[in-house]
Amino acid sequence: MIARLLIRIVALAAMAYLVLPLVVIIGASLTETSYLAFPPEGLTLKWFGVLFEDPSYVSAFVTSTLLALAATAVAIVLAVPASLALARYVFAGREGVSALLLSPLVLPYVVLGAALLQYGSAIGMARSFEALLVGHVIIVMPFVLRSVLPLLTPEQRALEEASMDLGAGPLATFFLVVLPQIRGGIVSGGLLAFISSWINVELSIFNTTAALNTIPVKMFNYVQYTIDPTIAAVSAITIVVAALVIILLDLLMGLDMLSEPHRS
Amino acid sequence: MTASRTTLALLLFAPLAFFAAFFLAPMAVVAISSVTTSDGALTAAHYARVLLDQYHWDVLWVTFRIALATTAICVLVGFPLAWYLVRIVRWRAWRRACVILIIVPLFTSNIVRSFGWMVLLGRTGLVNQGLMGLGLTERPIRFLGTETGILIGLVYILVPFVVLSVGNALAKIDTVYEDASADLGVGPARTFWFVTLPLCLPGAISGAIMVFALAVSAYVTPALLSGGQITVFSMLIFQQYSTVFDFHYGAALSVTLLMLTLVLVSIAGRIGDGGRRTA
Repeated sequence: MIARLLIRIVALAAMAYLVLPLVVIIGASLTETSYLAFPPEGLTLKWFGVLFEDPSYVSAFVTSTLLALAATAVAIVLAVPASLALARYVFAGREGVSALLLSPLVLPYVVLGAALLQYGSAIGMARSFEALLVGHVIIVMPFVLRSVLPLLTPEQRALEEASMDLGAGPLATFFLVVLPQIRGGIVSGGLLAFISSWINVELSIFNTTAALNTIPVKMFNYVQYTIDPTIAAVSAITIVVAALVIILLDLLMGLDMLSEPHRS
Repeated sequence: MTASRTTLALLLFAPLAFFAAFFLAPMAVVAISSVTTSDGALTAAHYARVLLDQYHWDVLWVTFRIALATTAICVLVGFPLAWYLVRIVRWRAWRRACVILIIVPLFTSNIVRSFGWMVLLGRTGLVNQGLMGLGLTERPIRFLGTETGILIGLVYILVPFVVLSVGNALAKIDTVYEDASADLGVGPARTFWFVTLPLCLPGAISGAIMVFALAVSAYVTPALLSGGQITVFSMLIFQQYSTVFDFHYGAALSVTLLMLTLVLVSIAGRIGDGGRRTA
């Protein structure tokens, strides 16, 4: 009983620890003072207004959003055929291909960012939107792959074969039979991909410039020198975006993964 | 047969070409420049510089010490939290809310999360106000620019990984084993120690190794919470590429970090697989 109580206390303290910084940031973004204050002194949304009047923030928001959308789209286009190949075919080097395509999940992003800068300088692509994009595609593709692969089951395969037997061509089969069945995986993998690109600093920081900047990198450079309510306002926006994506994911696939231990 | 070979080639061509061009080639460039001079001659000098300089060993030691402490605290905090969510919470809506709250930080950039702690841990921040209000300290404690500050920030960022991996393992345990142990007259503490713990150990260990690998290669959190006072390994790499422009030496540092991470992750993978096979 004492053990149970102790666990309860530690767990609730841990939850408080996890939530506190987010609450502080959102609270601090609403302060009327020109310095950061928590609890906020007065309530105002003026710092959000300041952001949207600052062209450098607006352009960083646009860059980040375009980058995340483009990286997600390219990643889906590459990951779906790759998952079909991995799920449907037995071939020499299959393990190697899957390990290669999933390896960016465990790669230190600082290393890949540095590599892309060095490689980009060699082929004349460094510090450009393209350089950012290819790096982001590499790091987000595994998320799509991992959520699509488990959906390509033998049962799904049977439907595919039925469609072919009934005379549908491979493309018709793909768009009419396979795609509707893996749509859920593409959407949830795509959301994970989008958010991982949207929040990335370590990879982007090598290939961004003052003129071509993403929101997290801009914040990183800013926070090292100044802390003020505008930065809290940007942070608050990213927290809200994260929360929205998670609620979407929860509705789509249910995040209640830690549900009751099942009994056989 | 030939038709299916063609389909396979068509399916794999684009993803493999993309990875070869923008992942393998850049990594190869780094690997090659880590063992060559600017004239292109082979050399081991960059690695010698990494391995023979006392400063690097100091930085590595600090990085390892912070990563080890982060991992230990993450397990000590994450295990009870996972246990609470899987075994104690009975109200589904609350568990769901907790899981969402644990994931929200994972979906927020390291900057935002570290920034929150910069505000909280400052001299006049909420943490110092609280500690002084409770009479635990007379003067504000300095957190920013210390290893404690970095530790608080890293644990914050990485504890969700432990909670999710331990939680998943715990949720999969069939409670008949524990019931059987209890029916045989074994007390709850011994049942935990000899039945439950071994069953969720693979999940806990692979979660812990992931945390360690991520803590070793962390850049943003230490950079923001160290206030320039403490250097960790990834900062050395960034310095070489952004201010010193010594790509060869930077490459040797990158390869060192990469190897370290790969070894850790493959150990974690082994343990995770072993757990699955015996489960």
